[in-house]
Order: sequence, then structure tokens, then C-alpha cells
Amino acid sequence: MKFLTDLILKMGTVDRRWIFLVIALVVIIPLFFPLGLPIRATATTQYVYDTIDALPHGSKVLVSCEYGPSTKPEIHPMVLSVMRHLFKNKHKVYVTCLWPDGQFLASDALNLVARDEYGLTYGEDYVLLGFRPGNEAVVKGIVSDLRKLYTIDAKGTKITEIPMMEGVNRFEDFDFLFSASAGYPGTIEWVQYAVDPTNVPMSTGTTSIQVNDVMPYVSAGQIQGILAGMPGAAEYEALIGVPGIGTSGMDAQSIAHLVIVLFIVLGNIGYFIERNRSKKY
Amino acid sequence: MFGEIFGAWVAVFLTFAIFSFLYKDNPFYKIAEHIFVGVSAGYWTSMFFWTQIQPNLFGRLWPSTHYSDGIWYGVYDLFGFISSSIFPAGGIDKGHELHFSYLIPFALGIMMLLSLFKKLNWFARWGIAYTVGMAAGLRAYGFLNSNVILQIKGTIIPLLDPDLPFFSLLGDSHFNNLVILVGTVTGLLYFFFSKEQTGNFGKVTRVGIYFLMISFGASFGFAVMGRISLLIGRFTDLITYNDASYHHATIWVLVIMVAILGYSTFTDKGNSETDVS
Amino acid sequence: MLWKRQIPILIVAVIGSITLFGWFINEPNIKSFVDDDATQWFDILASFAIFLGGFNLLKMQLQKIFRRQRGWQYSIFAIAGFFLAITAGFFYKGNPDVAWGTHVTADGTLFKWIFTYMFAPLQATMFALLAFFVASASYRAFRIRNFEATLLLVSGIIIMIGRVPLGSFISSWFILYLLVLIGGITVNSFFKNKQYTAIFVIVGIIVVTAAGSSLGWPLDQPGILYLPYLQEWIYKYPNVAGARSIMMGIGMGIFATSIRYILGIEKSYIGE
Repeated sequence: MKFLTDLILKMGTVDRRWIFLVIALVVIIPLFFPLGLPIRATATTQYVYDTIDALPHGSKVLVSCEYGPSTKPEIHPMVLSVMRHLFKNKHKVYVTCLWPDGQFLASDALNLVARDEYGLTYGEDYVLLGFRPGNEAVVKGIVSDLRKLYTIDAKGTKITEIPMMEGVNRFEDFDFLFSASAGYPGTIEWVQYAVDPTNVPMSTGTTSIQVNDVMPYVSAGQIQGILAGMPGAAEYEALIGVPGIGTSGMDAQSIAHLVIVLFIVLGNIGYFIERNRSKKY
Repeated sequence: MFGEIFGAWVAVFLTFAIFSFLYKDNPFYKIAEHIFVGVSAGYWTSMFFWTQIQPNLFGRLWPSTHYSDGIWYGVYDLFGFISSSIFPAGGIDKGHELHFSYLIPFALGIMMLLSLFKKLNWFARWGIAYTVGMAAGLRAYGFLNSNVILQIKGTIIPLLDPDLPFFSLLGDSHFNNLVILVGTVTGLLYFFFSKEQTGNFGKVTRVGIYFLMISFGASFGFAVMGRISLLIGRFTDLITYNDASYHHATIWVLVIMVAILGYSTFTDKGNSETDVS
Repeated sequence: MLWKRQIPILIVAVIGSITLFGWFINEPNIKSFVDDDATQWFDILASFAIFLGGFNLLKMQLQKIFRRQRGWQYSIFAIAGFFLAITAGFFYKGNPDVAWGTHVTADGTLFKWIFTYMFAPLQATMFALLAFFVASASYRAFRIRNFEATLLLVSGIIIMIGRVPLGSFISSWFILYLLVLIGGITVNSFFKNKQYTAIFVIVGIIVVTAAGSSLGWPLDQPGILYLPYLQEWIYKYPNVAGARSIMMGIGMGIFATSIRYILGIEKSYIGE
């Protein structure tokens, strides 16, 4: 018993670089040897799916991409899945970006899903309006007069020459908003300046870090469901039946979480052993 | 294709250079960090210029629809002589009308840039004041409406609805609604610092703290989840770049970097032992 | 003094008031200014602020090189990176078929190459580093020193395990056995009697085993101890309550601070 307690205490003083190595291994090994753990959708993810599924065919959906390369592993899979769902249900998709990096990633997503997978036509089925700087002022601009803010799309084409922009002048002309958000500006700004004043329904996908900031809006009914981080993306992929990057990362995520919990438990066991010993002496 | 392969090697090198910080601070990390700072600044400058300044500012000051031979467009033609990419011949065609009022933000913007000079430091204040004022006006309404009033509305939920069960793990119930109400109210009371938190009030705020701790614990769980997801993303890219089409960039860069760092650690240890002796 | 202090305060007061009351006034000219032009001006000034940041960075790095300050050699890389991005942004497209302006978003340009192979990996890896530090910090610093910390830890662990697919495989009965063990440790710390502890643990194991056997060891029953259900409940109810109270507190604080800026009471933007 003493040997075990001494071992646990010794592990508490280990160089942190060994911890880094363990974390690296527990993440990388499942990527090479996947376990294939089944994914079950949570209620908030199901709510997003049901909301989008209930939209009448041909609805005008605004998808706003406010994420960058640093948060791509969490948000990009959910953008791809939501786009697949939207195009499958034959909705018209309009993409804006509140982050500059979001424009490249949105373009990649549209090229992959709309152009390559579904063979859709730019300007008739989907359009990339692009990035505009200004944070919440951009959201306000979209609400009041989208055409003043966006005179050209991301390809430099005039808005007036894009067929699917006909009849779209302000935010209220859209039937639904999906915000794929990694921080500021993002979901919260859409809720405050667009959705609450106009009552256009909205769902969102956020990074795991941002989930708790957004949950009160979901609970209050201001947002219809939320895709929470990479697990949320994986759940949505499972719901639409097209596994992707989100699904492939979940095995590694599961094992890594388990290992971190074990670290925490071990650390606390060591703490209690040390506390009892110091009380004794 | 060469661009892709070269790019993959650059990406892998930069990735491992940043990760090398986990071993210790080293020149690889410092180089990558400084490159990141420089490239980010240049990237954002270019992006903001071409998506906002050129189309929306210059496009409103010199729109092609009002192009003429007057003094105003004479100035434009002079700029066009310097840079025909930013000021193409015949004016900027972005669908705008001429708005001289946009000289105001242009002037404020130039004043912001002039604040780089120490003596003109205060020039930036006017532009900053405009953005601060606008943000204050937007946020006062936005936060009050969405974060306070509508949240209060969301907290007023049925406690005695006969259609709801007393307790449900996955759906609405009287117990769950009560938890939300009690948790929100006691949590808010905890933040009321104008009254000393003792006695019965102290007991109520203690309950508030417990709810806040549960919320912080959930935030911690989500934070760990988010960070691990980002790491998975990086490793996925490194695995992609280890493919034969990229000439196994990952493994080569890893081996070379580990060898260099290992050698430098070995020589540092040798030097320190020599110093001691 | 007038130019450096009073005029900025006046700008904040006027623009702030117009923007705030613009939410409530239906006069077309004011609404048009607030919703359209004022917004555009804000966007333009935000862009100039970015340029200021970029040039400031350049100035500081150049100063570091000229003054031969510590680490000045690395500043060369910062400046090289900056000029590479500026070259791609303003001087060399790399794809002659793309027009100036759209080259910052189009495929096949040098700008896109820099984004894909330099900017994106650097930014992503910087953030990915945090995964290692969060694991290290959890192991070395996360301690159950009091009841509040225990609540934090337990809810964090339940969320971490319950939200991933692995959590679905952890039976409620495993959690029950774990609770019996924790109960035994608690009994031991209170009574400090090995006999009591042993009786408690043995009886607990027998009861749980009997109950599990009789019910056929269902994975997700009792539901309250099945981690995916439990995390869903915590996530939607007590967690939302805590998060909502924080959100409302912050919301009221931001409203108050915004009014202070508009009224000229808060003057931190001019350094006061």
C-alpha cells in the first residue's frame, strides 16, 4: 500500500512534458486505429436538425460563417453538414462572413458541397456574399439594408446581376439564419441585432468554449438549438447520414477526455494522500 | 502542384515549430511566432483594404458612374497613375453613387494613421471616439434587450402546469423549471454586493454560488473539449501531409527537428557540465 | 485641449446618442443615417484601425532591429512575413485570370497560398497548444479543496465524459459501484472504523449486484446515473441557470457602461 501511495505521490511531481507526450499519443493513436464508437444525437442537436428539416422547400437561408483556421476542426464539419442538409432540401443558400478568414473557409465549403457534390449553380442556388468588417455594425447593416452593405459579392459580381438576390433586400427577407460562430462577432451579435428585433428563426453551431455563453439564448427560445463543438458536428453528421471530419475525431476525443479525467482523479488522490500525511506528522 | 507540395512542407515545418515550444523555448518556435505576427498583420491589412476601403470608401468617393474630366477625378487619375490596380481607369465600379460625405470617415481614418507619429498621437482620438460612440449606442440596446429583458422572459416559466410531469430527466418538468428559476435568482443575488452576504441572505447566495460552480464546471468541460478538438484538427492535417503525394513531409520534418533539438539539448548539457567542472 | 479632449467626448456623446435613439426613432433621414451611412463609416474606421495596428507592428519591429534589442534577429522574420503578405495583397496576384480585389478570396492566388499554408497552420497550431496546457493544468492544479470545487469538478467530469460517444458505454451500474466506493471512503473518514467501512462497502456491493441482476443490467437504467442523460440534465437546467445569471449581470453592466460612455462620464478611450 505504501508503495502505491509513494508511486502516486511521485507521479504528481513528474515533468509536464511527459503529460504532453501522453496527450499527444492518446489523440494520435485513435486517429490511426479508430474504434468506431456510435454517435447519439443530443436534444439540442436534434432540435437544429428538426428546425432545418421543417423549413419549406426553396426557403431563403442565410448562413453566416464567423470562424477561422484556429477553430476549423470544430466548426467546418458542422458547416459542411448543414450545407448538405440545406441543399438536399433544395433551399437557396446565401453565405456571409463576419470574420475575414471565414470567407476562405466558406468558399471551400461551398465548392466542396454545392459545386462538387450537388452540381449546383452559383448565383441561382447559392451565393457567397463575403466578408465585411465592422462586427455588429455589419449585422445591423444586413438587417436594415443588405444591398447598401453588399453591392458586390465575394467574386466581384454586382448584387443586382445575381438572380437569386432578387427580392432580397434586408434580413427579414430571409426565412432562416444559421450562424457558425467561433466567438466575437458571431451568434450573440446575430441574436441581439438581427434575430430578436425581427423574429427571424435562427439556429447556431459554436465552438465548445462558446456553448455556455449561448445556452441561455437556446433555453429562452431565442435560438432554436445549438451544435456544440466537434461532438455537435459529429452528431449532425450522424443525423444526415454523411460521416465526415467530426465523426472521425470523436474516438480520439473520447479517449483524450477519459485520460484527462484520470489525470484529474490521480492528481486529487495524490493531493489527499499528501494532506493526510501532513496531518499525521 | 509544386506550390502545393512546397506549401505542405512549409505548413508542416511551421506546425512542428510551434509544437516544439512544448519541449522548450527554442529558435524554431521564435521564428514561427514572428512569422505568424508579420503574416497576420499583412494578411488582415490586405483583406480589410480590398473588402472595405477600396470598394466601399474609394468606390463611393470616385464611382465610375460619375466619372468626368473635372478636378475631383483628376485627383483620382493621379492616384491611378500610382496604382492602377486600386484606382482602375474610369472610376471604381462597385455599384455606388457619389457621396462626398465619405470624406469624413476618410479624414478620420487618415488621422488615425498619422497618430503613428508621436507628436500627432492624439489624432487617433477622433476616429476612436466615433467607433466607441457607435459601439456604445449599439450595445446599450442590444445587451439590455437580448441579455436582460428576454432572459427575464425566458426565466418566467410554468411551475404549476398540469400537463408537465413533476420530474423528467430529458424534458421539461416542474422540478426542472424550478431549478432554472431558483438558480437564476440566487445566482443574480450573489452578484448583489451592496448588501453584506450574511444570515439568511448569505444562505441564499451560497445556493447561488453552487449553481455558478456547476456552470463553471460545465464551462471547464467544454473548454477541454474545445482544445482537444483543435489538437485533433492539427494532427489530422499532419497525417494528411504525411502522404506519399507530399513526399512524407510530416515524418521528414519531425525527424530533422527532433535531431536538431536533441543535439542542441545534448550540447547545452555538455557545456553546462564543463562549466561546473 | 479642445481638439484633444472636448471634441472626442462630444463625438462619442453625439454619435452614441444618435445610434441609441435611432433604435426608437422612425424619422427616415435619421434611420437612414444610423442604419446605413453611420454603419459604413464604422466599418471604414475599423479597417483603418487594422492598418494602424499593422503599421505600428512594422514600426516596433524596425525599431527593434535598428536598436539591436534582444532578439532583433527574429524581427527580420516578422517584417519578412509582413512584406510577403503585403506583396501578395497589393503587388503580385499569382493568378492573372483573377481581378484585383477578388484576388484576396479567389483560388490559385499567392494570397490564398499564404492563407492555406502559412496563416492557417500557424493560427490553428497556436490554439492547439492549449490542449496540452489544459491537460497539464488539470493534473497539477485542479484540487478538491472544498465543496464548491467538488461541484465544479464533478459537473466538469460528467460533461466531459457524458458528451462523447464513450460516455454511452459506461453503465449506470458502474457509476453505482463507484458511488458505493466513494460512500465507503466517506464513512471511513467520518467514523475512522475499518469494520463500519467494510460492512458499508460489502452491503452496498451486494445491494447493487442484486438490483442489477434482477433488472438484467440495463446500460441506461437508473437513468439519473447514466452519464449521457445526466450531462444533458446538467447542461440544460442548473448550468443554464448559472450561465443566465452571469449573462444578465454582464448585460446590465454593459448597458450601464455604454450609458457612461455616451454621457461622457467614462473617458478611458482618451486615456483618462
